Amino acid sequence: MLKQSNDKNSWSSRSIGSGWQHRAFYLTIKLGGRKAAYLMLYFVVAWYVLFSPLARARAGHYLARRFPESSGLQRLWHCYRLILEFGKVLIDRAVVGILGAESFQVCLDGREELLELCAENRGMILMTAHVGCWQLAMSALEFLQRPVNMLMRREDGDIDRHYYEHAGIPCPYQVIDPTGYLGGTLEMLGVLKQGQILSVMGDRLLGSDKSSTPVDFLGEPAPLPFSAYKLASATGAPLVIFFTRKTGPDSYRVQLAKVLRVPQIKGRSTEHFAPYVQEFAVVLEEFSRQHPYQFYNFHNMWSGSQSEPAEQE
Amino acid sequence: MDIKQKLKQVLIEELNLEDVTPEEIGDEEPLFGEGLGLDSLDAVELVVVVQKHFGVEIKDMEEGRPALQTISTLAAFIEAKQQG
Repeated sequence: MLKQSNDKNSWSSRSIGSGWQHRAFYLTIKLGGRKAAYLMLYFVVAWYVLFSPLARARAGHYLARRFPESSGLQRLWHCYRLILEFGKVLIDRAVVGILGAESFQVCLDGREELLELCAENRGMILMTAHVGCWQLAMSALEFLQRPVNMLMRREDGDIDRHYYEHAGIPCPYQVIDPTGYLGGTLEMLGVLKQGQILSVMGDRLLGSDKSSTPVDFLGEPAPLPFSAYKLASATGAPLVIFFTRKTGPDSYRVQLAKVLRVPQIKGRSTEHFAPYVQEFAVVLEEFSRQHPYQFYNFHNMWSGSQSEPAEQE
Repeated sequence: MDIKQKLKQVLIEELNLEDVTPEEIGDEEPLFGEGLGLDSLDAVELVVVVQKHFGVEIKDMEEGRPALQTISTLAAFIEAKQQG
């Protein structure tokens, strides 16, 4: 479902299909359910992987590092598997909105620990990544009974719809725009001071390149953002690495992978935060090794030029 | 020492601003972007510094945005909070 874009740097919902293609999948879900949409997906993904160089290029950034030994047909097969699984996640997201959250079983690991962290009343930073289906992770957090704020940017003309838009319900979380005043840092600081939850993507730059530090990821230096670690340092909020993964056709597992405590770090130097960012990268790399086809960051994370605005896919 | 002077001094110390003296920071100079050249992450540090040295909490963006424009606006905000 990938579509050629005029801007080589852009990546938006328009990159994963045109409006009518999205609507065709939504209609299929309404008429035939998730399985019918999956069936259509197998053919659509095969077509794109075979005939869209852009689709292969986008997937190739990650696949070249995750499967460095593969080439030719093997790489094509990895590409097919990766985009297919990503397509399933997009379908699942639409299914939640169209047919209801009860269409999926969501298991949460670390429930008690999350409750304890929340009880500290220092706010909580949920560090997620482009893996699994983060919307389901958010729905699994309702038991915390705390407002959830997400650092995310939606582009003008986005055609991809979130589950709550399908369901016709209000957005269940507050959105903080990373291109807003001072990159949204004051808003983020404010919600943490109020003991709320702040969710950020740890594998994607959404602001200035200055707020990144290179860490080793899949064998090469990749600049990852460190603003969240700075916020954790300033507020004392725990930083919780939190991933979701698809475990079956209609099931997901939400996992608290690690809790980081960032001590107070003074000054403007980025190097003090690098060890914490590296810890996140290690956990994310481990995830990608265990679940190679559930890593959906299609940007070139290693190039350092991924700072163009985009939404959390 | 008045609030503005103290602000300039703690900014330099806490943000490790190199090659800048308090005298070089203008009262009406923008703190962010052109001017003193602070960035969004410095804003986080600045909020912490204000609380630590002046006992004044900047709770959210409603308060922070007008206060964090210049040394003068920040000093006025601190003064108002301390008196309030």
